[in-house]
Amino acid sequence: MAFTVSPPPHIKEGVSVKKLMWSRFIVLLPLCLASIYLFGFPALGNLVAGVLGAVFIELAIQKTFKQKVTIGDGNAVYLGLLIALMVPPAVPFWLPFIGAVFGIGVVKHAFGGLGSYMFHPALATWVFLKLSWASLMVPTSVPQLGSLSDLILETGAGFIADASPIAMIGVLYLIARRYIEWRIPLMYLLTTVVLVFLLGDPLSYVFTGSFLLGVFFLATETSTSPITKNGRLVYGVACGLLTVIYGYFTGNYIEGTFYGLLLANAIAPMIERSTVPKPFGGVEA
Amino acid sequence: MSDVIRLDKLPEKVIIPMRQHDGIACAPLVKKGEEVLVGQKLGECEGSDLAYVHSPFCGTVESIGLMPNPSGKRILSVVLTPSECTQSVEFVPEKNASPSRLIQIIKEAGIVEYYEKPTYLALKPEKRIDTLVMNATFPLITHAYLGSLDKVLKGFSLMLEASGISRGVIVVRADDKESIKAFKGAVVDGKPLTIAPIIGKRHADYYLEDIDDRIIVVAAGKVTYTPTMMNLLSADVMGRKVSLGHEPSDVHIVVCGVKSAKAVYDAISEGKPYLENAVTVIGAVNKPGAVIVRFGTPIKDVIDACGGYKGEPGKVIVNGSMGGVAIYTDEAPVVKNTTGIVVQTKAEVLQDETTACIHCARCVDICPMNLLPTRIASYADMGKYEECEHLYAMNCIECGACAVVCPSKRHLVQLIKYSKLQIHNICAAEAMEEATK
Repeated sequence: MAFTVSPPPHIKEGVSVKKLMWSRFIVLLPLCLASIYLFGFPALGNLVAGVLGAVFIELAIQKTFKQKVTIGDGNAVYLGLLIALMVPPAVPFWLPFIGAVFGIGVVKHAFGGLGSYMFHPALATWVFLKLSWASLMVPTSVPQLGSLSDLILETGAGFIADASPIAMIGVLYLIARRYIEWRIPLMYLLTTVVLVFLLGDPLSYVFTGSFLLGVFFLATETSTSPITKNGRLVYGVACGLLTVIYGYFTGNYIEGTFYGLLLANAIAPMIERSTVPKPFGGVEA
Repeated sequence: MSDVIRLDKLPEKVIIPMRQHDGIACAPLVKKGEEVLVGQKLGECEGSDLAYVHSPFCGTVESIGLMPNPSGKRILSVVLTPSECTQSVEFVPEKNASPSRLIQIIKEAGIVEYYEKPTYLALKPEKRIDTLVMNATFPLITHAYLGSLDKVLKGFSLMLEASGISRGVIVVRADDKESIKAFKGAVVDGKPLTIAPIIGKRHADYYLEDIDDRIIVVAAGKVTYTPTMMNLLSADVMGRKVSLGHEPSDVHIVVCGVKSAKAVYDAISEGKPYLENAVTVIGAVNKPGAVIVRFGTPIKDVIDACGGYKGEPGKVIVNGSMGGVAIYTDEAPVVKNTTGIVVQTKAEVLQDETTACIHCARCVDICPMNLLPTRIASYADMGKYEECEHLYAMNCIECGACAVVCPSKRHLVQLIKYSKLQIHNICAAEAMEEATK
């Protein structure tokens, strides 16, 4: 009888990169539906354009350089959707498309592909679009600030992600399943709430869809956050701090979230290096 | 405990390796064509880390040569054709023996601990020892011996006597209700055993101070302490951490197994050498359970005793699916360090493709030693072994938990093991250079 011979372990948990990426994608879908309900066809078009742009450029790069095509792992689709969620709903369709091409082509693949990028592709893309098409990247109206009922269905326009913060509730399932780690979101939320409270800004300024997207999906991007346990706590605090610094002085916590997180990405390796844990039992004397 | 089968059916062929633990190989004492009796010594060796090999069967020596082994390598073995005869060498029980005599008997019987150390060496580490810990945290193995629990406890007492250690601690899993129940009903030194839970900082010492029993049972966590997890065992049970490069004996603890306690009883009270073991068979077989098997029995026969393969077997794993060896043939025999056999069907055999690390840190969260497995593995892959050392690669206990949870299916354990080997080589080379200066 022929038996398979292979190195241990011979059992593995049924978690794969594919599962992690697609589950995040699925959890974002209710938010997309809410935005389509609110903004109609333009939102739908933008979301599709973002995903298509991401898939297109990933396929083109991997075909050109004769690499293995990895569309199936869902990372490009997920990033494309994130990029589209971070533009105002009324922009022309080519904008999220170009954004996704830049995000996947330059920020992801030029830096080495999945797992190797040092900045979150969606964040870097948002800054790229903001600098290149500054007039388009301004929402036609800011979310109606001042009422917490906006958490359910936003009445202002904002970015597509601002449509319905509550629609991101599925993220709690991901945290419970440990598909998203709890340390970064918890520390980020706590730090922001405490600082905003101390500085005297109303909390409803802060709790927008974009901010929650940042807390749960952008800050927790695994490649751009530290892997050490303490490092993740420190990183969460740093994210909160940078967000509030920008938000407090400009009064715009949405942009504060995105700029703050991009800066936090930059200091993540330093945080990781300075929080390497001591092994259990100590080291050899 | 009722589902323990004793494998009495004679196998067609018995393969008795001359090296059944991680130590010195024995030289065969018999020649081709010779008749051997049950309990006859087949292998003799000299050195410090030895375990004599005895024949568990009565039969004729068919050949002596390299034969398949559950370690995956081919090892010099004596092949017997067993016969129906049950004639054995004379078994002489010992009574009222002195501690040094007891150690001598344990050495003669060739008893080996579950962590590959001969018991006679493990019991006498030449250091100050205050506690003998019996690791009964493999539920299936413990259940196999619950039927003869009095013998196991007697063997454990004999081990205490032989080593001169004053107190014993038996560790069971907190969720292993069956074993806890059995231990509750057991009597040692005329008194029932005390079962104590490990809570927070209340380690075994806390209970041993209060109770003047020689032996207590502690229920510690929901962890099965495999041979590489000595550090965790001594920390969880006794609250004493073992630092890198040290053994539990450096913190005054000696660890033994349930199997060796039973074997010590057999050796001293019945005069029998170490001839048989309980082996658990789980996975794709028709009747999973524990089987008491004589050493040298091919794994094929053990699986037949468990009702044979269920479906088409794809993988046969010896000693656990976390760190065990997938063997290439089921002709390989059960040896002294075999504890369990796992059978996977063709459909269950994992076929994963390694992809890039996404730094999800699941390996960091699961690592019992607080390491950064993904970083060590990446440096090992790049050949930067010094960086691995800075990340404490040498502290890795190779439990395999990181590779189990990895969503990218990377070969984390293998890469870390490789870096450990390279660090070891670098250190050895440096030492050589020092010496030649």
